[in-house]
Amino acid sequence: MPPSSPLNETAAPPDRKSAGTVFATLVDFARRRPLGAVGGAIIVVMVMLAASANLIAPYDPLATDYAAMLAAPSEAHWLGTDAFGRDMLSRMIHGSRTALMVGLGASLLGASLGSLIGVASAYFGGRVDLLVQRVMDVFFAFPVIILALAVVSIIGTGVGNVVLAIATPMVPRCARVVRASALSVREMPYVDAARAAGFGHPRIILRHMLPNVMAPVLIMATAFLGEAILLEASLSFLGLGVTEPTAAWGLMLRGAAVEFAETAPWMAIFPGLAISLAVFGFNLLGDSLRDALDPRLRTQ
Amino acid sequence: MASYIIKRLLAMVPTLFGVAVLIFLLLRVVPGDVVEARYIGQGSQFQSQELMQLERKKLGLDQPLWRQFTSWMGGLLRLDFGLSMWTGAPIIEEIRLRFALSLQLAIMASTVATLLAIPLGILAAMKQDTWIDYAVRVFSIAGLAMPSFWLGILIILVMLIVFRWLPPMVFTPLWVNPWENLAQLIWPALAVGYRYSAVGTRMMRSAMLEVLREDYIRTARAKGLALKLILTRHALKNAILPVLTIISLEFAFLLGGLVVTEQVFNLNGLGMLFVEAIARRDYTLTQALVMLVATTFLLVNFVVDVAYAWIDPRIRYR
Repeated sequence: MPPSSPLNETAAPPDRKSAGTVFATLVDFARRRPLGAVGGAIIVVMVMLAASANLIAPYDPLATDYAAMLAAPSEAHWLGTDAFGRDMLSRMIHGSRTALMVGLGASLLGASLGSLIGVASAYFGGRVDLLVQRVMDVFFAFPVIILALAVVSIIGTGVGNVVLAIATPMVPRCARVVRASALSVREMPYVDAARAAGFGHPRIILRHMLPNVMAPVLIMATAFLGEAILLEASLSFLGLGVTEPTAAWGLMLRGAAVEFAETAPWMAIFPGLAISLAVFGFNLLGDSLRDALDPRLRTQ
Repeated sequence: MASYIIKRLLAMVPTLFGVAVLIFLLLRVVPGDVVEARYIGQGSQFQSQELMQLERKKLGLDQPLWRQFTSWMGGLLRLDFGLSMWTGAPIIEEIRLRFALSLQLAIMASTVATLLAIPLGILAAMKQDTWIDYAVRVFSIAGLAMPSFWLGILIILVMLIVFRWLPPMVFTPLWVNPWENLAQLIWPALAVGYRYSAVGTRMMRSAMLEVLREDYIRTARAKGLALKLILTRHALKNAILPVLTIISLEFAFLLGGLVVTEQVFNLNGLGMLFVEAIARRDYTLTQALVMLVATTFLLVNFVVDVAYAWIDPRIRYR
């Protein structure tokens, strides 16, 4: 398969002539893939909430109000308050920032490092390839969360470190998929041509091969996004991710939320709902994207 | 066949060695060790350095890294995991009961996942592009989206509010009191199994769709075979393999990777033990746990590969 075809095939189906604008393309996408459109809508709402968090959150997410601890949902606090009297709705709106930041950061980092390693491994081939593959095998033998936990225990908690910890298990998985695509790209005449023209290895890898494996990279990155948000929530829930007082969904489920689940169930229900919706949105979009861009990966 | 099995077994050795080197070094990169971790509660500045040095010597932490590594490797070759640096008890003893719990939970969760995935996947494939297909897809994607620990919290919440009943919080081994044991483990197994069924369901659906387009299915139809027979005798047999593969590959990760679910249900499984061991800088115990999970993962892989080779002789000559 020519490496540039997966994008073109779906971006310009023969029956569509009116699609000249972005809007028309979106409408078309929504008609063809309603589930993907639902996912996209969820993500758009989430991004808007995160962007305007300071404007729309009714309270300061960090402001404690000891007169209203564990208050049930009411007109003043739509989703109730937590054990410190902090407004749940405001914390959830601000939590979407943390989730997006960690999700985007980790999947971008994981996907770019992974694709670089994957392409380089395929390009050099031979012993380099073998060695890289063996090292990747080692990483595959760890459960994802254990690997992330191990990294956190080395570099510590906090948003930046969590991004690194979550990106780590994604690197080998992305590398493996990208390597498979890059192996066929390597055999393309234009790579030979580039080599014959005397270009250096970095230039061939970055300028000639990498752009042509973008379809699987994009698919992996979207798939990682939802997973990264889930992992962040898990780590924070364990107290080994984002730390207090930052507003993060997983953190909101920790401690008091479980302890007072019976008397203050809103603390346990709403943040989990937010996590699920966000991951649901990214998964739906990712699935549709994968079907649209690369049908071969459908069963993975 | 025998040579294939031996080749595959030998291929595991470098990977396991790599895992061992990686975890050994990772642990020692982190500042602080088990001696410091132990005295932090008591205010480490009050402890005399000589005393701490003495403890380190007792644990062998004063030895050069290569010697620590070779003596650990030597123990592993004799299947001797050594003593926990924190409790001083043999690691086998520390792990035994928790392994039983995690193994049972992993088996139950995989069973739940299989029982959900196969019928749902077939249903979705049979009713492709109808609302049933969409409902199944949404159900399985939702399973992937919901954190299983949150699902666990919800299950506990519903049981508390509706039934005024909580699952038992202390682990009872199956052979002591099966009823008590199942009453405790069925809920986390459902929460985790639902999540892991999602991948299987999608696999089942697409495998089924692919198989249904094969010539031999058309032939079976053409000769007037009942739909039910075609499904069970011809289609299912061929489509089920990848589903079972993917569910069994997840199995090893269920064994050691359910850290958060164990926390919610207050289960002392391998995942919780792992978190404790890391926090206590218990090198020997952490290493043993990582090797256990990695070995299980590789063994499951190995069994799946051998099973494939046994079913399909072409694979052996790749």
